[in-house]
Order: sequence, then C-alpha cells, then structure tokens
Amino acid sequence: MSNPSAGTSSKSKAGTSQPSETSFKRKRGVFQKDLQHMMYGFGDDSNPLPETVSLVEDIVVEYVTDLAHKAQDIGAKRGKLSVEDFLYLIRKDLPKLNRCTELLSMQEELKQARKAFEVDEEKLATLE
Amino acid sequence: MKQSKDPFEAAQEEQDDSPPESPIAADELETQTPAGQDVLTGGDDDEISAAVNNPSEPSTSAPKLASTAANASAGKHKDDEEEEEEENMEVELGKFPSSSDPAKMAKMQAILSQFTEEQMSRYESFRRSALQKSNMRRLLVSITGSQKISLPMTIVVCGIAKLFVGELVETARIVMTERKESGPIRPCHIREAYRRLKLEGKVPRRSVPRLFR
Repeated sequence: MSNPSAGTSSKSKAGTSQPSETSFKRKRGVFQKDLQHMMYGFGDDSNPLPETVSLVEDIVVEYVTDLAHKAQDIGAKRGKLSVEDFLYLIRKDLPKLNRCTELLSMQEELKQARKAFEVDEEKLATLE
Repeated sequence: MKQSKDPFEAAQEEQDDSPPESPIAADELETQTPAGQDVLTGGDDDEISAAVNNPSEPSTSAPKLASTAANASAGKHKDDEEEEEEENMEVELGKFPSSSDPAKMAKMQAILSQFTEEQMSRYESFRRSALQKSNMRRLLVSITGSQKISLPMTIVVCGIAKLFVGELVETARIVMTERKESGPIRPCHIREAYRRLKLEGKVPRRSVPRLFR
C-alpha cells in the first residue's frame, strides 16, 4: 500500500510503533509561508521557487520526524520524552546546541519577567 | 497582523510566536508603550523586549552575515532614508544586553551600521522568521503519539529546524557557486545540499530504511 508522494494534496501519516489517535493528515504547505521568509533570510531569492519550498518543507518534516523518533528511543529508557533528549541528540552540533540553550534561557527570563509583571499588577490593584 | 487588547499583550504574543525578534518588532513595542502607560508596565516592557532581543548567536550569525554580504551584488552604499531606519535599529539593539559582552555588541553595531537596504531586509527576515509553534506541536504530537509535548520542547525543535533550514540553504548556495549558476535556488541544489549534509552526518539517519511514504 505504498503512497506515491508526487504532489498529492494530503497524506495520512501511518504510526510506527503505535497508531496515533489524532490521525494527522499531513497537508502540503504547513510551513510554507514561514519557510519562504526563512529561506530569504538565509540567502535565497526574495521569491523562492514553490517547488524548492515544498522540497525543503518535506526535508524538514522528515528531519524533525527522525529526530523525534530518536529522541523517543532515548527517552523511553527514562520513561518519557523530555527536552534533554533533543539536546543530547544535537550535542555534536555546536551552533544548534548553543542556540537551543540560548532559547531555553530566554524563555526562562520571559517567564520570570511575566511573573514579576503579574505580581506588580496585583500589588497595584491592592494599593488602589 | 495580530489582534491584541493592549500593547503588552501584543508583545507577549509576539514573543511567544517568534523568540528571535527583530529590531523592527522591538521598535513597534517601544513606540507603543511609552505613550500612555505606567512607568511600571513600560519598564517591564523594556525588560521583556530586552530579554527577547538578544542578538542572535554570534557564531552562527557571522557565517550567515558573510553569505548575505556575498549575495549583495551592489557595493555598500547608504541612502539618507535608510540611514534613519538603520539608526533606529541601532538604538534598539544598543539597549539590549548581549549574550556575553559589550565587545560583541559593539561588533554587531559596527556591522549592522554598514548594511545596505537589501542586506538589512534579509537580516530582518533572518531574525524574524520562525516556524509556527502550533504547527510544530501538532507535528510532534502526531510523531510521538503522546499529547504531552511541553512548550520548551516545541521551542527547541523549532529552533533546531530553523538552523537546519539555514544549513540546507547555505549549502545549496555553495553548490550553486560551484556550478556557477545564479538566480533562485532550485530543487536540484537542495537535493545536492541534503546529500552533502547526510555525508557529513548532520542528518539523523534511520537504522531501518523508510519503506512506505
């Protein structure tokens, strides 16, 4: 039951170890708009060719899929999937590792800032 | 672009959507907030945009800047209109603590001040673009089959994917220069770039080959 992937408008993604309950039909063009801007930022033409964008999207989805499967294999030993598994997988790739740690620390900072903001708002409300 | 009740919530939503914010987004935040806000919220806003507008990782941005500089065919020149826009951006970048030290910040300032308009727009696309977290979360849920995908995980995977796209596009450009072609990148370049990345081992390979697509 092989599905030719030549430009079909939707694909049903078969689960590997377990059937996914959400039955996510992978539509084309999930990341297309964002990918166009991204490719321009990284050096492509201001209007990348649509077939190029589709191909990059396919490659990225396959990359994320393989990455997630490997992370799941690693996480299965521990019990569940966590961020550490992804970080372990990219440990050899220094730019990615640094970028991910930077993103995580930024997210922590944002969380702290938002918490501080809410606390201040409460104080302000109680003062008035 | 986004419906928001007040500028701060708009800032929050923007932050959630694209962690690597561009100076332009910060510019919008700055102009919106001072206008009639508490000193309190204004201060926090600055802190948030400061936290978010960390200049992108210098080690990755340096090679990217080099590639964009190579792409800009015109020589470096500054129009009066661009100068104003670039000055605004420099001011925004100046407020934010660099990831490590002011020396790097000064270097970034020096580089950014000499960008042409095309380079600046490309850099802005580079900083602002991001894969949507909602789509990524949906994809991860369908891959792993578990509903418990935490927000940090989504953020991390979006970041990894963005850098991977960068590697693909840059390698494709290298392939194009080797073949002495120009213009938009074509699928054959991407395929060649993907093949090279596989050889370098940057793409996780499946131990079992993929049979049914």
